[in-house]
Amino acid sequence: MIQTLPNGAIASNRPLWRLAWQRLQLRPLPYLLCILGIALGVAMMVAIDLANGSAQRAFALSTDAITGKATHRIEAIAPGGIDETIYARLKRQFGQVDAAPIVEGYVKVPELGNQPFRLVGVDLFAESPFRNYFTDAGSSGNGFVQFLTEPNTIVLLKDTADRNGLALGATLHLDVAGQMKTAALVGTVATTDQLNRRALSNFLFADIATAQEILGQVGRLSHIDLIVHQPQDLEAITQTLPTDLQVETAEAQKNAVQQMTAAFELNLTALSLLALVVGMFLVYNTVTFSVVQRRPLFGILRCIGVTQGQLLTLILSEAAIFSVIGSVIGIVLGIVLGRSIVGLITQTINDFYFIVNVQQVTLSNWTIAKGLVMGIVSALMAAAIPAIEAMQTSPTLTLQRSTLESKLEALLPKLVLVWIAMTLAGMALLRWQSGGLVAAFAGLFAVLLGAALLTPPLVTLLMRGLAMVGQPMVGVFGKLAPRNILRSLSRTSVAIAALMVSVSVIVGVSIMVGSFRGTVVQWLDQTLQADIYVSPPSTTANRVLGKVDPAIVAQLKTFAGVAKVVTYNDADVQVVDYNKPVKVIAADGDVSQGKRPYAWIRPDLGKDPWVAIDAGKGAIISEALILRENLSEPPETITLRTPAGNQTFPVLAVFYDYSSDRGTIILDNDVYQQFWHDPSVASLGLFTQPGVDVEAVVEAIKTQFNDQQSLAVQSNVSLRQGSLEIFDRTFAITDALRLLAVVVAFIGVLSTLMSLQLERTREIGILRATGMTPRQLGSLTLLETGLMGLMAGLFALPLGYVLAWILIYVINVRSFGWTLQMALEAKYFWQALLVAVVAALLAGVYPAVRLGRMNIAAAVREE
Amino acid sequence: MQRWLILFITLMVFWVQPAWATNTQLTWVDAPPHAAQFRKALKPQDWHFPQDFGPHPQYQTEWWYYTGNLETEAGRPFGYQLTFFRQALTPTPATTDSQWRSHQIYSAHFTVSDIQDRHFYPYERFSRGNLALAGALAGASGTPYQVWLQDWSATAVAAGQVRLQAKAENVALDLVVQQTLPPVLQGDRGLSQKGMEPGNASYYYSLVQQPTTGTIVLNGKSYVVKGLTWKDHEYSTSALTPGTIGWDWFSMQFDNGSALMLYLLRREDGTLASTSAGTFMAPDGSTQPLGFQDWTVTTLDTWKSPRSQAVYPAQWQIEIPKLDLSLQGKSLLANQELNTATATYWEGAVAFHGNMAHQPLQGKGYVELTGYATRLDNLLSERTPKG
Repeated sequence: MIQTLPNGAIASNRPLWRLAWQRLQLRPLPYLLCILGIALGVAMMVAIDLANGSAQRAFALSTDAITGKATHRIEAIAPGGIDETIYARLKRQFGQVDAAPIVEGYVKVPELGNQPFRLVGVDLFAESPFRNYFTDAGSSGNGFVQFLTEPNTIVLLKDTADRNGLALGATLHLDVAGQMKTAALVGTVATTDQLNRRALSNFLFADIATAQEILGQVGRLSHIDLIVHQPQDLEAITQTLPTDLQVETAEAQKNAVQQMTAAFELNLTALSLLALVVGMFLVYNTVTFSVVQRRPLFGILRCIGVTQGQLLTLILSEAAIFSVIGSVIGIVLGIVLGRSIVGLITQTINDFYFIVNVQQVTLSNWTIAKGLVMGIVSALMAAAIPAIEAMQTSPTLTLQRSTLESKLEALLPKLVLVWIAMTLAGMALLRWQSGGLVAAFAGLFAVLLGAALLTPPLVTLLMRGLAMVGQPMVGVFGKLAPRNILRSLSRTSVAIAALMVSVSVIVGVSIMVGSFRGTVVQWLDQTLQADIYVSPPSTTANRVLGKVDPAIVAQLKTFAGVAKVVTYNDADVQVVDYNKPVKVIAADGDVSQGKRPYAWIRPDLGKDPWVAIDAGKGAIISEALILRENLSEPPETITLRTPAGNQTFPVLAVFYDYSSDRGTIILDNDVYQQFWHDPSVASLGLFTQPGVDVEAVVEAIKTQFNDQQSLAVQSNVSLRQGSLEIFDRTFAITDALRLLAVVVAFIGVLSTLMSLQLERTREIGILRATGMTPRQLGSLTLLETGLMGLMAGLFALPLGYVLAWILIYVINVRSFGWTLQMALEAKYFWQALLVAVVAALLAGVYPAVRLGRMNIAAAVREE
Repeated sequence: MQRWLILFITLMVFWVQPAWATNTQLTWVDAPPHAAQFRKALKPQDWHFPQDFGPHPQYQTEWWYYTGNLETEAGRPFGYQLTFFRQALTPTPATTDSQWRSHQIYSAHFTVSDIQDRHFYPYERFSRGNLALAGALAGASGTPYQVWLQDWSATAVAAGQVRLQAKAENVALDLVVQQTLPPVLQGDRGLSQKGMEPGNASYYYSLVQQPTTGTIVLNGKSYVVKGLTWKDHEYSTSALTPGTIGWDWFSMQFDNGSALMLYLLRREDGTLASTSAGTFMAPDGSTQPLGFQDWTVTTLDTWKSPRSQAVYPAQWQIEIPKLDLSLQGKSLLANQELNTATATYWEGAVAFHGNMAHQPLQGKGYVELTGYATRLDNLLSERTPKG
């Protein structure tokens, strides 16, 4: 960079760069740690982004693959699907509009690794305007005759068949909600299009007749795809449809599904941002350190004519270079990490939202760009403070080493004010209901950063106090250690703040997860009162896709040892009031025997609203529905879209449901029958007669119906265990993030201590020269780091509690609509404290050992 | 008439698109030959109308072919084609729970030739033959004759009266066709030999000189039209003899009430197969069979399709000394090529004039030209299921 000065002299930045390079060669470690800090922060963000993105992408791909060129879709309001004669009528009336019938469902195939596969039944003769999998110039063989005319014949993607060693003609076993069917592989589709190949890897194709028979949907269609270009065609079609059908645009369909996971994903992203914030502390620390160390040099430089701008450029450029290196490493690291957590995220999405099978991670340029930009911007922001400080200091002052610390000391009261301001701003954001989840997270970050700013004043206060009482208690070290911390407050306080933030995250998340788990355990205990639960085996852990064979339902009602049976059915239903789909449960009795807790009961109904439900007087809605709609009190009525048009039901009570964040509505099964005409049963709760061995009945049920349908028959205890396993699995990703936050904090402390000890080489050399043994010096170092860890840990405890409060009462409520009971346990606190102290002590070990080995003469001579 | 090949192509390649349009590759298992057999046209049969207007599902292949030349009161000319094909995948239906499983597949072609504005509108559809999506009904057992594919249909509405309805993006057609003559049985009492092998034949009759009235809608504008319709109905279980690369089929309806049908099976060496044949139908309905040596057809002019690059005959000189007949034919619109997803052929309205027994003769008709874009025998042998 060459500038021409007004007097014609040429100023080059090159000598400055050379200086910076020499310093880097001399002291590489702090820079490496700084790079590592950025790298880890970026890595977390990229990893989460990658995993989220891959799951979304996989879902979008398979949706696109099936949507094809369809612009609209006719679907049934009732869960039973569309009467197939509607399609024939449509075709005979609107032959000029492209329409294709689809029958689909999920099956598990042992030969294909027992993953859920989407079985899609198509009518080849209607397909070509929509999807091109069955249009092929070079098709060979004549198995399509079998495909069309013989039952139980399917087509697979060639890659999928090859990967599982299946040749044409192979027999596959299809597990359809516990009922086993066999099918012959009569054809394979190969595609050169990478995206199609990925999208189709979880599909089984069958003729529409075959799909109807295998999935038990004879006479019904899942939906009808349309390509409509003329608005008048669309209107005409809509008008001829019976009221139990509706037309949706293909786009709306896709969006609805993606919105389901939006809150879940935002939560993960916020957690990953936390790691980046901790990473910023590292950058700030490193840059401050490098600036502080070079203050005399900068002073001299300024004296010999280096401008303020040049100095700022130098410092920021250094930071920029490190941040680029760190970000690139972080992206690579994030990709590796993302690959391993994609499974965790997919599992949760499958458990709670929709079925998606991620075979491959998708790395979007957007993810890379985001990682790079966030890494560089956060590093520059962190570096800007010390850089500006160095720039603004007058040359004479920079030559004095203590200026920075005295400046910070002057800042302390202001920092307290800023803390108060940020905390208030955070609280305001958290209280801002309509701000949604983003405002809530902004509030959380404001509180967190505010607390970090409070660290220097707090440390000063504590250390001054300790210095006074320390000497009488533990001798001279008791005074020396706190004073050392105070003397380098600009750096020690940053390290303490970084560690504090990380540890508070541990405390907050631990309390939140613990409270959540406690709430769920209690909820399960109260809600699950039946002794035995029967359902089709779930395709995913949390959701049952499929119904119990009606013959089995009838027999279970009179099964030996069973006193009472409660049946459940569920369906996705559109809530007209809020224009979103929820789960409707049709129950013919209360499986909780009246023990279910309610958030609200209509005052005139007394303690148990179930009597009114049984009488068909209204609906019970879950609190998620209210909380996610930001309602201050339960609505009087709720309007649902039914095959018989919109129906309004009085709201009788509000119950807790931690199995769905979309909202759940309970209706009496007679009411459900009346409007939806769907007599199927998704699950049963059985109450055994007194004195009957529950496990024996479970075994008897399993044995008796094994040939008909392999059912999930679970005793109360094992169902609860299963539910908690899902719970724990859901939070596995949170655990992983928590661990990473600790690692970043640990590196932060390590790098700070390293820098501090290096900076104090001469002083320590003098201490050694005046008789301090290496052992004593080591103890001093560990005392200092231990003190820092302890302070970080102590500060983290109240902050962690605040964080937990925010997570439980604001973030969770806004994200998922769940009210949790906060449950505090001592272990959350002492464990976090232990982590902080141990991390700090561990970080002090290396500097302590190094100092012990130092060459005293060289150290004293150094400056 | 030799249109059966079109059917094979249509049905067996219904998922075939030009290679550039797709990047998928389907591999099917090789199915074992079916034990049961389709019935074959082995000897002349007794015809029973109106039952025989309906379907004959024991035979593999069947079609109902309507072509006609129409004009408005003011003389604006149109041509149309509405054809239904039936193809059985297996001789016997599969037992099934689902209504969707069908061994009968239908396809249909619908074209309108706007001769004045020189525009050709071709459309094609497919469907399985169940769920009332497509099918054909016999005239027997009280149900009137009907063949349909979605909202394209030919339906008997009164004795000897058939209503044709079809609607596509830019065109619609609604015509009533009146039968005036008894069915003309082609070949030997309706047995039309297609190859030398036994059973390589079809049952084939035509309804000619049928007065037609109705409307044609083009791009939202409706035209009241009248004219003449030719109907062919044919069913068989037969294959194309190797070495036959395509055929030319002529149907002519003359102003004096007579009609002429010729089909020329073209071999790869440029000669005609000896099974090429034709029929002359006098105004009173009496017929005279024609062998391939009875005529000469000379191409006077050609037209090259800009889309398929195929070169089709566009003008003909037809001499039939046996009938003392000399005719010139000329396509009314050069581009009447169907370039659908499944087949490329030319089928369009043609005008004829000349003289017969020194009397001037003129009329209109339809000509079908196949095998000019792709050799048909090769294509067919690849696509035909070994049922």
